This record gives sequence, structure tokens and C-alpha cells, in this order.
Amino acid sequence: MLEIRDIKTSYGKIAALKGVSLDIRDGGLTCLLGPNGAGKTTLIWTIAGILKAQSGSIKMGGDELAGLKAHQIVEKGVVTVPENRLVFPEMTVTDNLIAGAFSRRKEKGGVSEDLEAVLERFPRLRERATQEAGTLSGGEQQMLAVGRALMARPKILLMDEPSTGLAPIIVEEIFEIIGQLRDEGRTIFLVEQNANLALDYADHFYLLEQGQVTFGGDPGEVDHDELIARAYLGARKAS
Amino acid sequence: MDGFTISVLTNIALFSFLAISAWILLIAGEISFGQQAYFAIGAYAAGIATAVWQWPFVAGIAFGTGFGAAVGALVAWPTIRLSGLHFAIATLAFAELVRASLNVFSYQRDIDGYATGPDGANGFRDIRWVYEAGIEPGAYLVIVAGCLAAVIALVALMARGRGMARLRIVGEDPILAAMQGLSVARTKIAAAGLAGGVAGMGGALYAHLATYIEPAQFSVMTGVHALAYGLIGGLGTVLGPILGVLIDIGLLESLRVFSGYRMIVFGGLVALVLILRPRGLLDERNVHRISAWLRR
Amino acid sequence: MIDVVQNTLDGLAIGSAYGLLALGFTLIFGVMRRLNMAFGSSILVGIFAGAWLHGQWAAGMIPIFAATLAGAVLAAAYVERLSFAWIRGDAALASMASSFALWMQLEDGIARAFPQRSYAFPSFDILPLLELGPLLLRPEFIAMFLTAAVLVVALHLMLTRTVFGLQVRTLSESREAARVSGVNVGRVAFLTFCIAAAIGGVAGFLIAATDGQISTKLGLWITMKGLIAMVISGLGSLRGALIGGLVLGLVEAQAQWYLGASGREITVFALLFVALILLPQGLAGRADAAARNEALRRL
Ligand SMILES: Nc1ncnc2c1ncn2[C@@H]1O[C@H](COP(=O)(O)OP(=O)(O)OP(=O)(O)O)[C@@H](O)[C@H]1O
Ligand SMILES: [Mg+2]
Repeated sequence: MLEIRDIKTSYGKIAALKGVSLDIRDGGLTCLLGPNGAGKTTLIWTIAGILKAQSGSIKMGGDELAGLKAHQIVEKGVVTVPENRLVFPEMTVTDNLIAGAFSRRKEKGGVSEDLEAVLERFPRLRERATQEAGTLSGGEQQMLAVGRALMARPKILLMDEPSTGLAPIIVEEIFEIIGQLRDEGRTIFLVEQNANLALDYADHFYLLEQGQVTFGGDPGEVDHDELIARAYLGARKAS
Repeated sequence: MDGFTISVLTNIALFSFLAISAWILLIAGEISFGQQAYFAIGAYAAGIATAVWQWPFVAGIAFGTGFGAAVGALVAWPTIRLSGLHFAIATLAFAELVRASLNVFSYQRDIDGYATGPDGANGFRDIRWVYEAGIEPGAYLVIVAGCLAAVIALVALMARGRGMARLRIVGEDPILAAMQGLSVARTKIAAAGLAGGVAGMGGALYAHLATYIEPAQFSVMTGVHALAYGLIGGLGTVLGPILGVLIDIGLLESLRVFSGYRMIVFGGLVALVLILRPRGLLDERNVHRISAWLRR
Repeated sequence: MIDVVQNTLDGLAIGSAYGLLALGFTLIFGVMRRLNMAFGSSILVGIFAGAWLHGQWAAGMIPIFAATLAGAVLAAAYVERLSFAWIRGDAALASMASSFALWMQLEDGIARAFPQRSYAFPSFDILPLLELGPLLLRPEFIAMFLTAAVLVVALHLMLTRTVFGLQVRTLSESREAARVSGVNVGRVAFLTFCIAAAIGGVAGFLIAATDGQISTKLGLWITMKGLIAMVISGLGSLRGALIGGLVLGLVEAQAQWYLGASGREITVFALLFVALILLPQGLAGRADAAARNEALRRL
């Protein structure tokens, strides 16, 4: 579905991605593991068009996405649930959700139906529909961010560490939602540090270290403990 | 109404155009020190249209508005990508450039035996359409207020049609807004065009009331005041900047108690308000509360 | 040719005063990440205090200099409390608006207390003009240049060699990080404000002494010059602020000579506008700022 080839991105002189290649397969959950500072967020921002890659290509079907502007990429159906900046805090929950549908130029209709469907999926958001989003708890904000992404009718969901800063119980809940989305046949690209959980849900995984993909495969084929050690410690010597 | 009241109200309405103009950009997350430039552009364009080219009044106002909007969008196109403070200084530079250029801009024609049109630093006299048509100050106030009401209605319509929400999210968090599929640059350029048009309309109306305009009237001070009105009155609604103008011109300037001490009182008052309400009196939260209360 | 050289010398002199103003702005902006619109008016308070002393007792240069500094620092302290310290941490716009309001307040207060159009300020005219062949050098210009150089070096040493300087730098990196590592954020911010005002006061004193007279119009003038010089330097470094001031002074002096007053205004603002578009990170901008701009420019 999304073929990423030899992507290089840097911040000024600092090279954050040094030639990343990976595939995000149709209708499955592809997971990207890696230690802090590996470049995971940088990769998501590059796919999303916020950052510009120096070189490389990102193909979706036959279309080249690299070089498009962020809003054009959303219009192609690649929608991001970012890390750390989840909601528009001064706007109500409903308005946040509707903001997710701003990209829908062609199919303007159905926004209220989709809103209803999202509120159905996240009953907690319905209870707080008129509340300002900034007053939600961390887990609720994460749900709101996922719901808002769904409002865009995404073909591919990019999720950046949805479990950061959340209590284990909430993390379980978030992952259940991710599992549901996968079971509905959506294509998901999940960045996670919580390798244990992520591997339970993933169909396929990659390991990113210091701006390079060093490993990849099916979760069934590898020793989870060793992989987790690498993902956490970021040490090549673990292999 | 006596003449004094009419003139104060007209002033409030005219300044409101400028304040709303700056407010629109504030909502889109940009600080502009330079909206007075579009006020000046609207004033000169409309004045030239009616006085030199002898266009009818409505066409002149429309020309001033359109010219302001076009220049606003055009100037935003290269500058909007600058980061906050740089954009603010770019607006300041542009406004001062406009003022300095008007100081040397001459374009005069012989109308009824008089040289008519802008004459550099000597200003632009005899923008007499309204005067010659015999429109009384009271009637002109109605015209100005009507135009202001149209602007407010337009913004209210945008709030309904989600246009305002687009501006707000682009202003609050441009990266997250882009992730919702908005073109941040395009949205902001549209905002700048709208802001330029609103200021241009105000300027056009002002020129016809004053009949004489000169570059020095459109100084940085004017623009910074316009910006402050929105911040004091509140960012939550388009009525915020108007409230700011009301407090300053309506309350302080026209109450004789404060005569001479207006800026001293105003300055202290504003500083206190902002300590208590950093996003102005009518901020998002208060607007929320008031509209909930009205709906009951 | 001689004209160009003479203009350059004059430009460098007034440019070093601009540089000092930009230095004050940069210090405050660096630490607070907000714009102090009242910077010019605190300096105005200072020089009017000096002029008052001059008018009352015909005091010597040193007491007048001290009064100028004291006035500027006191006014800045007032602004710091009302517009910065007491305004919520995330409300940068409110600080800007509030400091603008205090600018109006201070300026109007001065205009009431000093109703004449202009006031005399003691000048250095006791010192002789220096002649270097065909070139003329006014002594106060040399004083400006030397003062700016000395102050930048001193400030640099303070920021890099002292504990207080380290605290200022942590604060300018991240308020939160500074707070959790035990920096008394409020105190450091306050002192930085006062230092910035003192630097501005020095610049104001030199400018006023060069002109020999002052008016309330100087408030806006100082703010514009300092702000512009800070922005063309790229908001980053102290050295950059000085460079920004010198560049502004040079351009102004040449444009004034060849194009006259209105030509100078048009040139300066047109150049500023174009420079901002072409060099958004300024003359001495930092690479990471460039990268951030690059990312945001794409949106
Ligand atoms: N704005 C920036 N300017 C300069 N360098 C940056 C910037 N953002 C990130 N980096 C650097 O790029 C590298 C990759 O950062 P990135 O945020 O992509 O890591 P990550 O894998 O998402 O880490 P985490 O797990 O902590 O979220 C890091 O070395 C980081 O220091
Ligand atoms: Mg990350």
C-alpha cells in the first residue's frame, strides 16, 4: 500500500533518517519499534508531509507522495494521529472531531453520520461532547485524536506512540481500539515503544535504530525478548 | 443625537474596522503591526476613485475594499511563511513602506479648476463626494454602521460555515491543522485578504468623512492601537475588538472626567485586565458561557 | 568616495547605538520569549529623568548619566512586574499587549510632566571634533562605538563565565527545565530585564547627548530601531544584535546621504521587508531555527 524507499530527512545538519525503506501493507497493522531518538516521529512527519525528505520516495499505489504538501497527503487518505500534540485545547470535543473532516472535499456529505459513528465508538467522548478538549484526561485526548483521524475517512492511519504517558489500564484500552480498527480491515502504521503490546497486535514489524531500519519481520518468527531488548536499549550489540 | 455623540460613534465604528482587521489575523495566529497600511490604501484608493476619477460613492468604497483585500493577500503570500515575530516585523515594514511611499506619491488632475488628488506629504484634499451630496453626519453614521454590521454578519456567517474554525485551528496549532488536511498558508493568505479588505473598507469610509487625508495619519501607533483593541476586548468573538474600541474611544475619550489622562488610565486598565484575562475580556471561555446562558 | 567613507563612519556610530538597543531587546526576548513593547518608553523615562536633572541643577554628566540609568531601570522594573511577571506563563500575546498599554501610559505620563515640545540634554560638545584628513569624527560617535563594543564583551563574559549567566542561558532554553533545576526563574527574569534596561539606558543617554535635545517622540523611534535591528540580526545572539544595529545604521546613513529623508525611509523599510522574506532566519540566525522554519514553511 505504502512503499517507502530510501528516505533521508535531516534537521539542519543533523541527519535524523539516513535512508529508511519499509512497506506498509494493505489492511494490516505494521509496527515500527525503536528507542528514543531513533527517528520514529521524524519518519511519521516526513510521510505526513510536515517535514521534507532530502531524497527517497514514498509511493501509494502508483502515486508519489514525497514532495506533496501536508494537506494534499491528507486528501490522499494518509491521516496522522500525532504524538504529544493531540487536540485543539480551546475547542470543544465535537468541534475537534469536525475539524477532522475538513479535508473531505469531494465527499462533503456524511459528516454528521461519521460524527455519530465516532461517538458510538467512543461513548466517553459523547458524554463530554461540549467540553473543551484541553480539559480531557490524557486517555480521552488520545481517543479524541483517533476519533478525529477517523473523521477524515483515512485509507492509512499513522499513529505515533498512542500509549505515551498513559496508565497501563488505559493503554490496554487504546490497544483494544487499535485491534478493532485492524480487524475492520484498516491499514495502520503504528509507532510504539511499548514493544510487548505492539507485537501482540502487529502483523508485521520493523526496528528503527539511529535513523536506519535494522531489522524487520513477522512477530511470530522472532524472539520477542531479544527484539524488545534492542528496541528499548537501542543497542546493536544485543543481536 | 448631538454632533459630539455622532462624531464619537462614527469614530468608534471606523476604528472598529481596523480593530477587526487586526483581530482576524490574531485569530489566524499572526500578529500584525501594519493593518493601518490597508486602511491607508483603502482611503487613498477610494478617494482617488471618487475625487479624481469621479466615480460614484458606492463604487469608490467597493474599490477601496477590493484594493485593500488584494494587497493584503498579495503581501501575505511571501510573508505568511515567516515565523511569528518575523511576520509581525514584516507587516510593520510594509506599513511604514506604504506610509513613506505615500509621502512622495503624487497623482493629481484638474477637476473643476482645482488640482485634485494625493500630493505627497501635503496630503490629499477635497475628497468631497459625501459633502457635495449633502449627506448629514447622522446619515453618514448610519452608512458606516451599516457597513460595519455587514462585516460582523460576514464573520458570523463564517463562524457558522466553519470558516472561522479553520482560521482558529490554523492559529492555534499549524502543524496539527495541516494534519487535518488544511493548507496553512492558503488559509492564512485568505485571512490576510479578508483583513485587508475590512481595513480597506474602513479607510475608504474614513476618507470620505474626513475629506482630507495625509500619510502621517496612518502611523505605526494607529496600527498598534488596533492590535491592542482585539487583545483587550477579547479573542473569542468579533465583538471583542469592538468592545476594545468602545472602552478606549467611547468610554475614556468621551468621558470628560479623564480628559487629558486617557492614556494613563487606559494603559493601567489594560494591564490589569490582561493579568486577570490574558485573552481579553470576551475570551473563548466567556463567549462560551454567555452563549450558553443566552440559549437557556 | 570620501562621502561614502564618511557616511560609513557616521553609520557605524549611530549603528552601534542601534546595536545596544537591539541588545536590550534580544536579552529580554531571549529570556522571556516575548516582546517588550515598552522597552523604548522605559528608556524615555530614563532620559527625561536625566534632562530634568540637567534643567533643575545643571548637574554634571555623571549624575545625569546615573539618573538616566536609574529612570530606565525603575520604569523597566514596573513593566516587568505588570506585563510579564504577573501574566500567566502561556500568554505571550497578553504580555505584548500589556507592555504596549504601559508604553502608552509611560509616554503620556511623561508628556504631561514635560509639556514642552523638546528639552535640552547636555551634550559632549566640550570635546573637540577629530579630523582625520578630510574625515570628521564626532567624539560622541567614538564613545558610542567603544561603549557598544565594551558592553557586548562584558555581557558575553557575564553570560558565559558567571553562575548568573548560566542561569540566564538555561532560562532562555527552557523555562520549565530551568525551574526544575532550581533556578529562581522569577528573580533571574527580573534581573535580566533590569540589565536590558540599563543597556538601553546607556544607548538612550548616548543618543540624547549626541542630539543635545530630546522629545517624547524618541520612545517610538527607539522601539522601532531596536526592534528592526534585532530582527535583521536573527533574534539569536548578542553579537548578532550588534551586527544588526551596525547594518541598519550603515544603510540609513548611506541612504540619507544619497536619497534624502523620504528616500531613506523608503529604502530602509523596503530592504527590511525584502530581507525578511529572503533571509527569514536573519543575518546571524541559528541552524535549528532555520530547520524549524523550513518545516513550517511547507505548511
Ligand atoms: N526539531 C529538531 N531539531 C533538531 N533535531 C531534532 C529535532 N527533532 C528531532 N531531532 C533529532 O532527530 C532525532 C530523531 O528524533 P525523533 O523525534 O524522530 O525520535 P523518536 O524516535 O520519535 O524518539 P521518541 O521515542 O523519543 O519519540 C533525534 O536525535 C532528535 O534529537
Ligand atoms: Mg517520537
